[in-house]
Amino acid sequence: MAEDLNWAVGGEAGDGIDSTGKIFAQALSRAGRHVFTSKDFASRIRGGYTAYKIRTSVDNIQSVVDRLDILVALTQRTIDENLDELHEGSAIIYDGERSWEADIPEEMSGVDVPLKSLAEDAGGAIMRNIVALGAACEITGFDVEYLDEALEKRFGGKGSKIVENNKEAARLGQEYVEENYDLDLDSDLETTDNDYVLLNGNEAIGMGAIAAGCRFYAGYPITPATSIMEYLTGRIEEYGGHVVQAEDELSAINMALGGARAGARAMTATSGAGIDLMTETFGLVATSETPLVITDVQRSGPSTGMPTKQEQGDLNMTLYGGHGEIPRFVVTPTSIDECFWKTIEAFNLAEKYQTPVFLVSDLAMSVTEQTFEPDTFDMDAVEIDRGKLVDEDEVEEWLDSQGRFRAHANTEDGVSPRAIPGMTDGAHMSTGLEHNELGRRTEEQDVRVQQVDKRNRKVETAKEQEEWDYREFGDEDADNLIISWGSNEGALVEALDYLEDDGVDVRVISVPYIFPRPDLSDEIAAAEETIVVECNATGQFADVIEHDVLERVKRINKYTGVRFKADELAEEITEKLSQEVPA
Amino acid sequence: MSSQSDVRFTDFKSDKQPTWCPGCGDFGTMNGMMKALAETGNDPDNTFVVAGIGCSGKIGTYMHSYALHGVHGRALPVATGVKMARPDIEVMAAGGDGDGYSIGAGHFVHAVRRNVDMSYVVMDNRIYGLTKGQASPTSRSDFETSTTPEGPQQPPVNPLALALASGATFIAQSFASDALRHQEIIQEAIEHDGFGFVNVFSPCVTFNDVDTYDYFRDSLVDLKEDEDHDRHDYEDAKEVILDGDKEFQGVMYQDENSVPYHEQHGVTEDMSDIPDGAPEDAMDLVREFY
Repeated sequence: MAEDLNWAVGGEAGDGIDSTGKIFAQALSRAGRHVFTSKDFASRIRGGYTAYKIRTSVDNIQSVVDRLDILVALTQRTIDENLDELHEGSAIIYDGERSWEADIPEEMSGVDVPLKSLAEDAGGAIMRNIVALGAACEITGFDVEYLDEALEKRFGGKGSKIVENNKEAARLGQEYVEENYDLDLDSDLETTDNDYVLLNGNEAIGMGAIAAGCRFYAGYPITPATSIMEYLTGRIEEYGGHVVQAEDELSAINMALGGARAGARAMTATSGAGIDLMTETFGLVATSETPLVITDVQRSGPSTGMPTKQEQGDLNMTLYGGHGEIPRFVVTPTSIDECFWKTIEAFNLAEKYQTPVFLVSDLAMSVTEQTFEPDTFDMDAVEIDRGKLVDEDEVEEWLDSQGRFRAHANTEDGVSPRAIPGMTDGAHMSTGLEHNELGRRTEEQDVRVQQVDKRNRKVETAKEQEEWDYREFGDEDADNLIISWGSNEGALVEALDYLEDDGVDVRVISVPYIFPRPDLSDEIAAAEETIVVECNATGQFADVIEHDVLERVKRINKYTGVRFKADELAEEITEKLSQEVPA
Repeated sequence: MSSQSDVRFTDFKSDKQPTWCPGCGDFGTMNGMMKALAETGNDPDNTFVVAGIGCSGKIGTYMHSYALHGVHGRALPVATGVKMARPDIEVMAAGGDGDGYSIGAGHFVHAVRRNVDMSYVVMDNRIYGLTKGQASPTSRSDFETSTTPEGPQQPPVNPLALALASGATFIAQSFASDALRHQEIIQEAIEHDGFGFVNVFSPCVTFNDVDTYDYFRDSLVDLKEDEDHDRHDYEDAKEVILDGDKEFQGVMYQDENSVPYHEQHGVTEDMSDIPDGAPEDAMDLVREFY
């Protein structure tokens, strides 16, 4: 693997940390380098520590590591917070003219750049972060032209004057370091001719939704799901769609349900407390047999927990949430590109089986940006299956002797015909009450049993008709099996390299469907040791696996609020393999 | 779809017999809704009725159209979603005073201010009927019920005032038993460009012996007969809506300049019509990330 470089900018929220990092990430992507970003941020608008980290390599990367080579520190806290990751030879760019005196560990290189005054020379103090980016380019031997391209993309809309000033700020930073420092960090950043795209998981979900024909979205702002709504707003209109910011999550899911019943592909997305509020309507979606995609971008709970931190604690909620028994699907993308493809699949599943589909992502994926070949998102490969949406010719088949549409007809596969408003003879009522084939309320025991069985049968049909496969990495014949879901996949894949170096043979299975899910009993039986890795305290997926195979598995759980890192995970796996399986 | 002239109000009737108590105001309310829908040129195949929970919520069962009977208090969000996706469809939401002004009060305020082009009919009987007689948000403060033996001891919600304060563009009140007037008012709500809100006095003959047919018959003042009332005048509307001494029927307020949500936001497409694959220019969405 080629050398990778770990870079970060940190300061207080409100310091423009996010846009600074994004600009550098885009510059690296423009230079044909792979980029993987991560963010530390607090739940506040101004003040408090915040950082944007970039790992970059010419090879593909999909996780973070415990190492930081270059740090742009706008506050002392930025240095303190990252001491563990900084190492001998790390360079710290700071502004010695500011009131704080940077306390730089001896073994590291302090690069004192008058960020503020150089920015003022270029046209305004606000550009001090761009001066720092210019300095970073010089330190890493990275061609500042790529930074120029990123600045044009970022500020092009604000006029050429702004763009030129920013370019000048970058030049001044670069020149200052060139003239005053003679650093040999041995980190010249190689470039390639590749044209990558750089996006995060929420953007991939939004893009997948539009590609899949989603035209109506209703949501209520909540971290970290909001950026899905922000992505769709302003874009979905170009495809004839619309986004409504509802008054609360109860409204959001009911609006989305209304849109779906009217025939649109519709979605809502939320997190944490928002998914709790929506729970009331899960059953209505299922009993009215409405195709709906409900996205949950998990964050640390319970209650308001840690809204800006990573966790995978809502699995039980999406698997079991809601009163009564609700047929549903739980789809769990395992990477940013899969956020795109699984969103499309979620819409197809929803319409084919007319029931809620939970698309379960997590904060780490939602805020992390990663580079991809553009054809990773090949739009020609997108297939839309609207299931049993009847047309004018078919509707007659589904009328009873009195000409009433049997919207909940008891079919062999459990899926009924679906008519949408405007279709002649398709008019019918649906309800959250138990009902007969016509959608009318009933408490007759045999009809109740028939309808419950019919709805549950859809899941059985789907189990047979769809491929509930998994993604696999490492050595297929290894004695040690690691099972994971969601965003942990990237770190696990890279951990394989570390484990291999240590002579530990591991097979990794990453599961993109939790319900229905692939049958892993043979794989677990074939392994000597099985460890389930997830970002929660109790091991919700491990519980599910144990239920399936009726034996105990080992667990690696992280609930600090921070995602798994590849090197850390490799160590934990090695340690866990030497321990006894809990009784 | 049948042509306008073919449609009779009975086409909106389902073959299901209502289980409402004999004499319930909801019969009259529903008849007026069906007649108004037919009279305004709609047919069951292009109409969507969304109902909440309670006696009023059963209305979708007894009518024939596309319909959804949802969860308590959420009729308006569902109706909003239907109309967003399908501007071509006539959407009507119906519910009761508990459904609309208690559990659904938050949605009511926001549906009103959104001004989506649909109508909302609330069957206000000033009591919880289906749960057998508890106080509702519009019950009088001294109205004795099983859960309020000395009366709620708090002022009732004034739904018309709530609507006015929320920026409503059409506010009306009708009486289920005054069939022609009721139908006429519902028709106006349907025809209004925006959110047409009608609070309907729909007496509960089983649990409410105060707000009875006789009470409304004797006390209702029809704004139609009040030549001084200008429905387009906000101050006039405020006066009748905040009048604590009289009960009115008629259109209290209609904003002549109402611009419905769809026009304000350019939401005009039939969203049910989507291609077999990704949109033709979908690769543009990817290129944005270069």
